[in-house]
Amino acid sequence: MTGAIALAPSAPVQAPVVAQITAVEASLLAFVVLTALATALARDVLAAVIVFGAYSLGMAALYTFYRAPDVALTEAAISAGVTTVLLLLTLAKTTRIDHDVAFESVNLPAVGAVGLLFGGLLLTMGDIPAVGSPDAPVWSNPEVSQWYLRESYAQTGVENSVMAVLAAFRGFDTFGEAVVVFAGGIAALIVLHREVFA
Amino acid sequence: MSDVRPEDETADGDADDVPPHRARARSGRLDSERRQGTPYTESQVIMPTVKIVAPFAFTYGLFITFHGAGSPGGGFQGGAIMAAVVFMIAFAFGIEATREWLANTVVVALAVGGALAFAGIGLIPVARGGAFLQYDLLPIPVKYGLESVEVFGIAAIVSGVLMGLFFLLANGFDSDGSGFGDTGPVEDDPDDEDADGPDAAAAERTAAADGGER
Repeated sequence: MTGAIALAPSAPVQAPVVAQITAVEASLLAFVVLTALATALARDVLAAVIVFGAYSLGMAALYTFYRAPDVALTEAAISAGVTTVLLLLTLAKTTRIDHDVAFESVNLPAVGAVGLLFGGLLLTMGDIPAVGSPDAPVWSNPEVSQWYLRESYAQTGVENSVMAVLAAFRGFDTFGEAVVVFAGGIAALIVLHREVFA
Repeated sequence: MSDVRPEDETADGDADDVPPHRARARSGRLDSERRQGTPYTESQVIMPTVKIVAPFAFTYGLFITFHGAGSPGGGFQGGAIMAAVVFMIAFAFGIEATREWLANTVVVALAVGGALAFAGIGLIPVARGGAFLQYDLLPIPVKYGLESVEVFGIAAIVSGVLMGLFFLLANGFDSDGSGFGDTGPVEDDPDDEDADGPDAAAAERTAAADGGER
């Protein structure tokens, strides 16, 4: 790996040097995969919900490790926090069955189908650039990404370029997303035959 | 799955009560103790912990919301954290007590007001001859235009809708209003149609859906 890359001279942000996988990264990845498997295989729904919360927390730590703190905050707040609470609340409203065994029995045809799909997806991994690779499109084609990094502060005056893109450059999309959240609340009212939230 | 419910005969015994969002008698209870065996209990560990943690967590949510322009975060994340503080208070002090403390008006005003604020901020530049959300036509600097969208729009919508979903799921399905297949308008007053149970399957299904607490 050469590490040294040639960006456009006006681009101030350098691509990170491709590094070996670290112990923190490896343990986080193993934790995420193990909790995902436990979520799929847990016989008890309550155990699955709790392990799924741990999975989301592991994903949030992984996003932080990959320097995506905005995504990590969203994952931690929404997926690990709010979704777990809402699922637990739903379980409290339903009947919970006691199981003797901790894990589901593995359905072999389903494992075969998922294994084929997983193998097919693994075949595409060779074409995806490594994390931090200078050949990644975000670095090898720097006109788009570097334009946003350069112009977001100049045009909007906010330091967080993620927020500049979300609220200004893609503001209409964000308005649509916010209205979708609002419509989700209204849809839950309709489905549950309620007229008031609280 | 629904055959393992030995308390089923008591599930619709008191179905002629007020709907659950009006029911004040069973305040401070996570769910019916008949069904779950786990009613709300005042924990001497959870309540002081939440009392200590909640102000800091709420301040962190406000910081994430208001400082989203200069650091990671924004209205979506901050609104979710502020709603999670309400969840935390509800689990410590009881959902019904929190429901009385935080009126429905507040939740609805947050969600609806947020949507209207976002649309209004976007439409002000249109009224002045620009495009939707063209921040430089706002009478304030561009940075504060983005901030106001994040704070008054996105954070309000997300926190309001999440809090509403929480209280809504705690109430459960309203089987007293219009049941499955009934196309009439949803009424708040109970009409006792599952107390005598002409349709045994539907009554059992609705009793399972609302937690059998009425």
